[in-house]
Amino acid sequence: MNKKYLLGGIVVVLFLGMTMFLFMQSGMQYESDFSKVMTKSKAIKATGHWVKEKSYDQNLQDKTFTFVMADEKGTEMKVNFKGVMPNNFEMASSIVVTGKYENGVFHASDILTKCPSKYQDQKSANS
Amino acid sequence: MAGNILITIALVLSIYSMAMYYFAFRGAKNTINLARISYHGMSIIVFIISTYFWYLIFTHQYQYKYIYEYSGHELPIGYLISSFWAGQEGSFLLWLLLAAIIGILLQSYTAKRGELEYRVMAVYTLSTSFLLIMICPLLKSPFAMIWSESVPIIASSINPDIMNLDVIKHAFDHILASNQQPTFADIYPILQSNNIPLNEFLLTGKGLNPLLQNFWMQIHPPILFAGFALTTVPFAFSIAALMKNEYKDWVKQSFPWMLAAAGVLGLGIMMGGYWAYGVLGWGGYWAWDPVENSSLVPWLISVAAIHTFLVQRKTQNKENSLGRFTRTNLILSILTYVTVIYSTFLTRSGILGNASVHSFIDQGRAVFIFLVLFILTFLGLGAGLIIYRWKSFVSDVPAEESLLSRELALFTAAVALCASAFIVCFGTSMAMVDVTVPAALYNEMHVPIAILIGLLNGISLAIRWKSSSFEDVWKKSMWSVGLSLIATAIAIFSGVHNVMMILLFLTSIFTLIVNTEIAIKIMRGNTHKIGAYVAHIGIALFLLGVIGSAGYSKEQNIDLIRGKKTDVLGYNMTFTGYHPLKNDPKKFAFNVKIDQGGSAKVVQPVMYQSEMNGGLMREPDILEGLLRDVYISPLGFDEAGVDVNNKGPKQEILSVTASIKPFVSLVWIGVIVMSLGFVVAMLRRLKESLIVSSFS
Repeated sequence: MNKKYLLGGIVVVLFLGMTMFLFMQSGMQYESDFSKVMTKSKAIKATGHWVKEKSYDQNLQDKTFTFVMADEKGTEMKVNFKGVMPNNFEMASSIVVTGKYENGVFHASDILTKCPSKYQDQKSANS
Repeated sequence: MAGNILITIALVLSIYSMAMYYFAFRGAKNTINLARISYHGMSIIVFIISTYFWYLIFTHQYQYKYIYEYSGHELPIGYLISSFWAGQEGSFLLWLLLAAIIGILLQSYTAKRGELEYRVMAVYTLSTSFLLIMICPLLKSPFAMIWSESVPIIASSINPDIMNLDVIKHAFDHILASNQQPTFADIYPILQSNNIPLNEFLLTGKGLNPLLQNFWMQIHPPILFAGFALTTVPFAFSIAALMKNEYKDWVKQSFPWMLAAAGVLGLGIMMGGYWAYGVLGWGGYWAWDPVENSSLVPWLISVAAIHTFLVQRKTQNKENSLGRFTRTNLILSILTYVTVIYSTFLTRSGILGNASVHSFIDQGRAVFIFLVLFILTFLGLGAGLIIYRWKSFVSDVPAEESLLSRELALFTAAVALCASAFIVCFGTSMAMVDVTVPAALYNEMHVPIAILIGLLNGISLAIRWKSSSFEDVWKKSMWSVGLSLIATAIAIFSGVHNVMMILLFLTSIFTLIVNTEIAIKIMRGNTHKIGAYVAHIGIALFLLGVIGSAGYSKEQNIDLIRGKKTDVLGYNMTFTGYHPLKNDPKKFAFNVKIDQGGSAKVVQPVMYQSEMNGGLMREPDILEGLLRDVYISPLGFDEAGVDVNNKGPKQEILSVTASIKPFVSLVWIGVIVMSLGFVVAMLRRLKESLIVSSFS
């Protein structure tokens, strides 16, 4: 009986340890300070908002979508996304891009848009 | 006002009912009728609240904040119905409504089983009380007035005639001058003092998010919340057993409810997946998004519990005994509901603000604290009672230690499911510290679990209860193993090369064959026992669908020039033009003719400029087939066209992402078949639960 529990316990501990290790390893950190984003060599999720004044460029031939993002402090960063402008992009209150910063451009593999419409007001979209 | 009063009355009745049920349990003679009356009173008031809320939505009473934020004049009746649960407060009300209905069934079910009702309903009303507190005026009432919180005014919803009145204009200028956003709290007193009714000032509400304007939004939340509400029932049975310190009958009584909860929740989760796949254009049906994950966790635990319930039922038949895994069953039943609340906390408290496709904002400190309290209460109640009674449910059945026993196989399956639940739950919770786990990792970690589940799913049926010999198992499963190996060889030949995928295919097809064989045998005799096999056939089909669609999809971005045939992934696709939709002329359908081998079909992905948010919205269209789906997701449309090679006239170009997704249909069919299996099993266990145990 004791042996059974011991064996089960070891399996469980190994499993939990492995899971946590894997999650820590490949989990992606969010970062809302672009000056830090620019120094990280690992893929990261940068959160900020689209700088409307600088518009965006949708290249339908190469399927690239380029725009400028800014963080809360106003630090700006050019983002290049391999794909097309996501649904809801223009009205998103904040944007999360996943990727790496290289040679002055953030290469995003994924864009997440947060819509203000559902639970939030337009205020934050304008600010 | 009336809404808030009704909520408060319902809350008082719910708490009163809980107290009266508890006193009845403690032996009070005359409280049971009061408890029943107040429970039914509470339910009736919840119906009235819900009906009244719908009435307010239908009549566009924008003085209510919720109705202003989630509905509008232009919405057709179907979307007005689903505006009810488009936001946080309304979805809690929906949950409560479904819980109230289920509670009525539960009350009549338990009342037939003696004093069981007192305990079970005392726990159940605790849960309805918490739901009522969530929507009470002090926290997040759906009946909050628009001027009670700082709801900013959106220009597009205001009547311009009134806006141009000097007094209003002046007020707006005044607020804007101080660099602030005008809110209803600022303007309402001015409207009042000038005798302008709010409904004249406001022409329409903000409307419903276009992503929510479809059939799935109408059907998915009610089913999911019905599943959530159903998970309360096994929790209540578990606590009820612990209260009485009696663990023999509760499994039998709780079993049909656990099956119902798992079936309904599973169906609800699948519908969410279909919604994401078919309408939202995520391209897939499962993104391991926190909201999806958090409904998956309780489902996995409930399915694990079903398997250990079965062992307890089976092992208590022979002697007058509790059966095995009593403690496990109690804990899993408690965890099923606690993880439902935990999910609610993760997705509703605003704590995942960063990490989800679903949008959340900070719901405020009160809601946050309340949700933490909600978890702690139910977790504390469950854990406390389990620890308190720890010594009382030592199994009196000698544990079978044979490696080849069905008990062990079922237990291992439950462990595998719990491991999956843990991975998903832990991974989702990482978002609280701003770390997100990539979908690929979830996928990788689940492949071995799925292989194990497939294997157990098939092999356990060849293993007898208690113990069986290896020869016996081999003799029984020889043919199925042979057939599965042949099928796998065919799969390898037709392109499945990844080792893990081959193994998963092998075990899934093995499960399918074994279960189908048994199901066919059973069809001739005891049809009521078929549930489990049907459910397992469902899960096998589902796994095969996942292998095909997740492992072997092909995708290509392509520009379709109008009128020109283009070869895309083996299909001839032609963009033939576009036209406005009949029922909504602001949306445009883009016709893409797809032909392969002579038969041509047209799919019509849709794009439009959303009025509500000004963004370009895209809806995919799918050529659905049993063997594969052709998924066309629009990217953009170049009206003026691009000058191809600098000669000739400019051409209109539709850019799309085309993908071929093999066997996606099996994902849906699998889950539906599985849910049917749950229903059949539930009916069987329902009958069983009525039979008074001859041993007690």
